[in-house]
Amino acid sequence: MDSDEEDYVFYGTPIEREEEVTSRKKKAVAEASGQLRTLPSWKQEVRDEEGRRRFHGAFTGGYSAGYFNTVGSKEGWTPQTFVSSRKNRAEVKQQSIFSFLDEDEKSELAGQSLGTSSQFDTFGFTAAEIARKQAEKEQQQRSSAIPGPVPDEIVLPATESIGVKLLLKMGWRRGRSIKDSHANSVYDAKREAHKAFLAFSSDDANAQAADSESIQGDLENYIEQPASGEVISSQGTHVYALNPKQDLHGLGFDPYKNAPEFRERKRSRISDNRDPEYRKALSVKNSLFGFKSGKVAPGFGIGALEELDAEDEDVFASDYDFEETYVQEIDEPSTKSMVDTKRKLITNERGVLLGFRLASNADYQPERFDPPLVPKDFVPNHKFAGPLETDHKVPDTGPPEVSPPEDNNLKLLIDGVATLVARCGKLFEDISREKNQSNPLFSFLLGGNGHDYYVRKLWEARQKRADQKKHQLDGKASPSLPKLTAESRGKILGERPLERSSNDANPSVASSDSIHLQYNLSDTFTKPASFSELPEVVKPFKEDPAKQERFERFLKEKYQGGLRTTQFSGAVNLSEAARARERLDFEAAAEAIEKGTRGKETKTSTQHITEFLTTGGMQFTSGGLEKVEDTHADISMEMYPKREEYQWRPSPMLCKRFDLIDPYMGKPPPAPRMRSKIDTLIFTPDSVTAKNVEETTAENRDSFAIPQIDAQGISKDLSDKEIEVEVAVENVERPVDLYKAIFSDDSDEEEDAIPIVNKVEHPEKKVEAANTALNRLMAGDFLESLGKELGLELPPDPPYSSNKAGASASQKVVNENPGNDKVLHVEAKPPLTTNVSSECPINPAVLHDKEMAQDGRHKKNEPIDGDSAKSRVAEIVSSKNKNDQVNPEKIHQQDRKVKTRQRSSSTTSSSEDERSRRQSRRHRHRGSDSDSDSSSDHRHRSRSRGRRKESSREKSQSSRKHSKHHGHRSVVSPIRSHYGSEKERSESKREKHRRRS
Amino acid sequence: MSSAELPRKEANVLRGHEGAVLAARFNADGNYCLSCGKDRTIRLWNPHRGLHIKTYKSHGREVRDVHVTPDNSKLCSCGGDRQIFYWDVATGRVIRKFRGHDGEVNAVKFNEYSSVVVSAGYDQSLRAWDCRSHSTEPIQIIDSFSDSVMSVCITKTEIIGGSVDGTVRTFDIRIGREIADNLGQPVNCISMSNDGNCILASCLDSKLRLLDR
Repeated sequence: MDSDEEDYVFYGTPIEREEEVTSRKKKAVAEASGQLRTLPSWKQEVRDEEGRRRFHGAFTGGYSAGYFNTVGSKEGWTPQTFVSSRKNRAEVKQQSIFSFLDEDEKSELAGQSLGTSSQFDTFGFTAAEIARKQAEKEQQQRSSAIPGPVPDEIVLPATESIGVKLLLKMGWRRGRSIKDSHANSVYDAKREAHKAFLAFSSDDANAQAADSESIQGDLENYIEQPASGEVISSQGTHVYALNPKQDLHGLGFDPYKNAPEFRERKRSRISDNRDPEYRKALSVKNSLFGFKSGKVAPGFGIGALEELDAEDEDVFASDYDFEETYVQEIDEPSTKSMVDTKRKLITNERGVLLGFRLASNADYQPERFDPPLVPKDFVPNHKFAGPLETDHKVPDTGPPEVSPPEDNNLKLLIDGVATLVARCGKLFEDISREKNQSNPLFSFLLGGNGHDYYVRKLWEARQKRADQKKHQLDGKASPSLPKLTAESRGKILGERPLERSSNDANPSVASSDSIHLQYNLSDTFTKPASFSELPEVVKPFKEDPAKQERFERFLKEKYQGGLRTTQFSGAVNLSEAARARERLDFEAAAEAIEKGTRGKETKTSTQHITEFLTTGGMQFTSGGLEKVEDTHADISMEMYPKREEYQWRPSPMLCKRFDLIDPYMGKPPPAPRMRSKIDTLIFTPDSVTAKNVEETTAENRDSFAIPQIDAQGISKDLSDKEIEVEVAVENVERPVDLYKAIFSDDSDEEEDAIPIVNKVEHPEKKVEAANTALNRLMAGDFLESLGKELGLELPPDPPYSSNKAGASASQKVVNENPGNDKVLHVEAKPPLTTNVSSECPINPAVLHDKEMAQDGRHKKNEPIDGDSAKSRVAEIVSSKNKNDQVNPEKIHQQDRKVKTRQRSSSTTSSSEDERSRRQSRRHRHRGSDSDSDSSSDHRHRSRSRGRRKESSREKSQSSRKHSKHHGHRSVVSPIRSHYGSEKERSESKREKHRRRS
Repeated sequence: MSSAELPRKEANVLRGHEGAVLAARFNADGNYCLSCGKDRTIRLWNPHRGLHIKTYKSHGREVRDVHVTPDNSKLCSCGGDRQIFYWDVATGRVIRKFRGHDGEVNAVKFNEYSSVVVSAGYDQSLRAWDCRSHSTEPIQIIDSFSDSVMSVCITKTEIIGGSVDGTVRTFDIRIGREIADNLGQPVNCISMSNDGNCILASCLDSKLRLLDR
């Protein structure tokens, strides 16, 4: 179509398309018919009947005239309220020329008037004038308290006189007197004291004048003696001693107008009040009656509170006592001031506030207030970084060994807290003490039951930690020091040993436990401490006392004992299968009992249990494994459905969109509920902190991602350690079930158990087992979040474990080297790279040797940096493959480039499988290109350069995160990668499968 | 409705999908019907007359669920491409795509005012997406599920999700509570009764469970 039109030549004007015209007309019509009205005035455009924009205002330019094409103004037309002229007749305004002038005209006019420019305003007259004008203007604009024009004397010049300016430039400061710079410090102090005294003692203006006069004279004498040459100009700078209005008279009212003697009297009395000599005498009276100073108001009788001496009971006496002479008082201030100044000088030296002295006896008893109660739902936002006490010197001689308390739970709790405190620092102890003040279990923190034991334990834990630290500092673990295994630690903590391989024989038990873990956890969540009184009455195996005994032991272990014994001592004679069956039996019975008690109908529950046992139990004994499974399903059926409630915080936006009021409106932090049940478990006592934990975990999820991954790879040592602390935390609420969660299935045990489970049990149980494993990881995760929540920094995990991981990684590199070499050979063969192989200065074998050497070096120096070593190996290989030119500096250069590409492709994680696959495909494509001609090689290089930026960004990401993927990918050279991509694809597929299953 | 009134006859067969049909949904008044499937299309039908009205193509993988607003103006759909598409029914264009799920998206629903799309994903989360604003981030992520969320229901005040972890979780926006009903069996699909008092949950143990709320 377009090509057709190009061929034609058009003459004349084309006929307008009808739709264009009509649309324009339509628009015009629509606007005319009222659409215009909807637009705000500044958006409206003037258009003609054809809908075209009208241009007007040719001289001023533009499409708009007036005020947005109106004759209005910004203010618009505002109707004024009617004002009666009758009332406001007096307000006849004097019209001046200024009331008829515009702003600019006024400014023009103002320019004509004569005045000193501010530059030459020596005495500040012009500035004062301007300030006055300004004040007048302001006066007009806003109504002030004092109506009328501002009196001139109020308005002070805004600028300084030139003298002041000069003085300021010379270093004079306001409020200082003008004197020599080498001022005597004694004089200074005296002057200060005087000023302070003035401000302190002077009360009303007259008195001040008199006072200051006398004092001034006094002071002058005083000053003259040490430094006669000094220029004293304290008059030059006004000392503004403010007179606070202390009486209750009206402003400006002088009660002593006609009786100045009274004024004198009052002044003296007030100064008496202040005078330390007299204060003692008067304080008693003053304290109660204020300014009356012990005198009762005439004619008002005696109040209940007023205690009067016999001499004071002169009811008819007037306010003021005339008998006292004031002769003494007149000369008093001067002498007193002398004393005062001296004293002040002395006190000044002591560092007491100027003008004050330390009270010998404070008659003011400060009222003590209790600290405010922190509300229960208070969520602390500020976190204080507590000092880590890891470096803290642990005293060698600890507190004496104390026998643990009888209560096993308490003991475990104490152990746990001690470990945690040793790890997290003292702050943790403080916090937990604060939190669990009311909890009787935690009385050991407050010095109650088991405190001694706790102190001992804490010391032990600290020492252990210090040892560990030392141990780490040594670098290599000295072989003499035995590594702290789970068993040895268990021994230290007084735990029962874990059941190990014996458990493998009865996998159903293990798996069922892993299932029960979930239930138990949730049970713990819904009803804490329900099991303590539980299994005392119910005896479902009455007919078989031995079995009943075993059952009771089982119950005890299930709910109280923490860890299971290796085997039922009473059931030695039973076969493995029988034991397993019995175990299941017990589990079922326990479940039933628990259910019964939860329903608070013990009678029916016992019935129910017996009933259950008659049905289910018979099946156990008679039936095979399939039936066991069935009954198990039955059990789970009886557990469900189950309802739990959590707090959930809808986002404000969601509420808005659902048109609902945000239930959490106004409550500051978002409080979503915890992610894992372990979290809830631990923090059930106070949900507030749990919320906080959740928050922090949410915040730090990214940062946790790496440790979490690490945790998978890192040796058991670490996980053990975390579990240990985890146990401690968990003790807070209910120790048993989490213990089970953690200890019942060790990872090695799990691996053994799972295949058999798969055969026998439901496939979902595997998921459950995985869940428990995941939970355990989360426990580690949680611990860090706990640390964050407490504002503590957890001490870093022992580096030797990670070292080990790193070492293993480098080991892997070595393992992969042969494969690498092979690749090299393979790549050397094809005709595409013949020139490479022929011109390359290093033959493969040499290269291989070099690699090995490099590896060895890496292993020695930086074992953690395993993957960098790997990538370097890969880079060497690939560079060799890539080198079309042989000159060595080019090799080096290309090395770098290839490296970057290598990085970019290798650091992509599994989620980016697809991309890498695509990349590899591109590589393949490119590879053929580069062989066919050299120009494409240039292009290729430039491309890689472009990608370098990206790759460097990726480099900055933690290399550890991807260490696993490095394992198989980074070694793959870009040319080989299409071969590798097949593998990758299949791998990713498998991974996906795994995820789905 | 007595059993005699129940439909017993096949009224129409809607042919057109090339592959498995993964979901079929009526619109609010029941006059139209939407279906989606493995052929990566969403199809709009008039089921009463057996007419195929429109096909919506944009998904990169299979389409697992579709929902239409009460005013029939907008669609939302989700599927294996981990995205939620927000469509204009009339033009058949995608107005918005919501990305963020880390896995396949199993179910999707509008809220009452069609201002929010809530999606349930394989990534164990429910996500609420805002149709009004242009933000591409979800306005809320609910990740308290411990397994793939298979289905979602929305009332005026609640979001209900059923998950493979065996729970049916009701998130009450009005009071800010989450009620988790653990059924013990993986829940494949949940559906509200018309009066909103019950939830019917289909579980993987070949049972339907009717939950009183």
